[in-house]
Amino acid sequence: MEKVLITGISGAQGRLLARRLAAKCAVLGADRHPWPMHPPGVEVHPVDLRKKRFENLLRTERPDAVVHLGFIRHFRTDPGVRHDVNVLGTKQLLDHCTRYGVERLVVVSSGYVYGAFPENPYYMDEDRPLSASRSYPEIRDLVEVDALASAFIWRHPEIRTSVLRPVNVLGPTVHSMIAEYLRLSRVPTMMGFNPMMQFIHEDDLTEAIARTLEDRLRGVFNVVGSGAVPLHTAIRETGGRKLSLPEPLFRPLFDRLFGLGLWPYPAGALDFLKYPVTLSGRRFREACDVRPEYGLEEIFSSFRR
Amino acid sequence: MDITRSGWFRAARDLFGSMLPLSIRDIEEEIAERLARIPTKTNEYGYDPHGLHVASVRRAMLPSALLYRYYFRVESFGIEGVPPDRVLLIANHAGQLPFDAAMLAAAMLLEAEPPRVARGMGEYWIPQLPWVSVVAARTGALVGTPENCVAMLEAGECVMVFPEGVRGINKPFSKRYELQRFGLGFMRLALETRTPIVPVAIVGSEEQQPGLANLPRLGKVFGMPAFPITLTFPWLGPLGILPLPVKYRIHFGKPLRFDGDPSEEDADIERRVEVVTRAIADLLERGRHDRSGIFT
Repeated sequence: MEKVLITGISGAQGRLLARRLAAKCAVLGADRHPWPMHPPGVEVHPVDLRKKRFENLLRTERPDAVVHLGFIRHFRTDPGVRHDVNVLGTKQLLDHCTRYGVERLVVVSSGYVYGAFPENPYYMDEDRPLSASRSYPEIRDLVEVDALASAFIWRHPEIRTSVLRPVNVLGPTVHSMIAEYLRLSRVPTMMGFNPMMQFIHEDDLTEAIARTLEDRLRGVFNVVGSGAVPLHTAIRETGGRKLSLPEPLFRPLFDRLFGLGLWPYPAGALDFLKYPVTLSGRRFREACDVRPEYGLEEIFSSFRR
Repeated sequence: MDITRSGWFRAARDLFGSMLPLSIRDIEEEIAERLARIPTKTNEYGYDPHGLHVASVRRAMLPSALLYRYYFRVESFGIEGVPPDRVLLIANHAGQLPFDAAMLAAAMLLEAEPPRVARGMGEYWIPQLPWVSVVAARTGALVGTPENCVAMLEAGECVMVFPEGVRGINKPFSKRYELQRFGLGFMRLALETRTPIVPVAIVGSEEQQPGLANLPRLGKVFGMPAFPITLTFPWLGPLGILPLPVKYRIHFGKPLRFDGDPSEEDADIERRVEVVTRAIADLLERGRHDRSGIFT
């Protein structure tokens, strides 16, 4: 039976993926956080990606495939730790994969790496430069992770590696950046801006990751859901009330609140509420016949505030 | 909270609507009827993938159509020659504010058979403007990147391009009807997507807002690429941006088809662009010669 290692298994997306894969493979996971009551047949190892014990896990277990979900995407931890876990953790993982005979690797990056800019064309493809650090330096570690993994595809052709860049993930369980934003009691928006946004349901992303693994895909892929709506429509459909603020007030106010730990997103994130960042899913659609099952209405109604 | 959903708003709108002159309601119906004939790829919320919203187009078209019929009293010539499939409309640009683009779009909706929603290719700074960015997106305009333009043409859309850009729209009155240098991008895209080009001459717009000078440095302070000084602006404040009631005449030329490699050198592309410029200049000249007056 095939053995799959999932990093960050205790996160919402990790749990969904573990359940999806457990029927066909032996699933083991690594996470600094425990997963209480994890299903039987799934092993969870409480290890840190940066530590020796993680390497030991790969050495002894020799997984056939690895799915890398073990990132810190929020800004509640110290930026130094965040950078370490994300960049160093990924670097170590890539090294271990070459050393311990991993055959397939899937790294789940995100669509935010392209960055939000006024000159963004609609439906950007995977060859678009990763410019997020230019206006959103707080996620430069995630951009670096994506670049490391993308370079790994060519540096190690013997390992079938895929980098997935999903659009905004929503669903009943995930704690994505967009989900936390939409769950705010009053959802702040920038007055006079209402960019188109794409969404994918957490189950559809799970299926996309699983199929990437099963179909042995190789390459960089945007992963999109069923379509796009303006931000304000998404807020309304998920039951939120928007709070519209003029930009000259919005930026300094939330910058200050972020500094005080009262607001979860740094200033760079605000451009995603201003300019459209839409991705083309054509390459993934052509590589693999998986299609999103959830329409926009179903995505929004599955979301719990 | 969306004000357009409140009961008071609806009641006021219905009351106001019942008081509108008949002709306005006729135009509203005409716009709705013509829009209904255009196939759009909208989702369950009424948006197409690029942010166009049919109800917004309908609302925005009413003031455009009123300007078209009663203010600029637009006449269009040769619009029946515009191919019904993918097409690039290449036109002269003038008049400080893009009423010429609005009138060209109105002509394509109100006069073309079948009716079309002409997609505008805007400047890169449009997405940075509050409200303007939203109105632009909802009515079908996009940032004028090559990717956006190719996507529109491949989807069979009618795309409007003003290759003079800011050079044209903010030029002084003394240079009216003198075509400014054309950008080359549209020709490369036409070659790449094998799209026919319809040269369009807009006669009238060049006299709507006589520009005396342009202070781009001052414009920069306001985040705009230009700061025109005209007969009325900034002297009359916001009122000063209103155009003179010139009469518009829009002349559509015969479609031009070009072949070749889109990655050729600038000089080779320029040669083809010159054909388009020439065609527009000829149409402009004939249009000016034949007209009875600037305001009539």
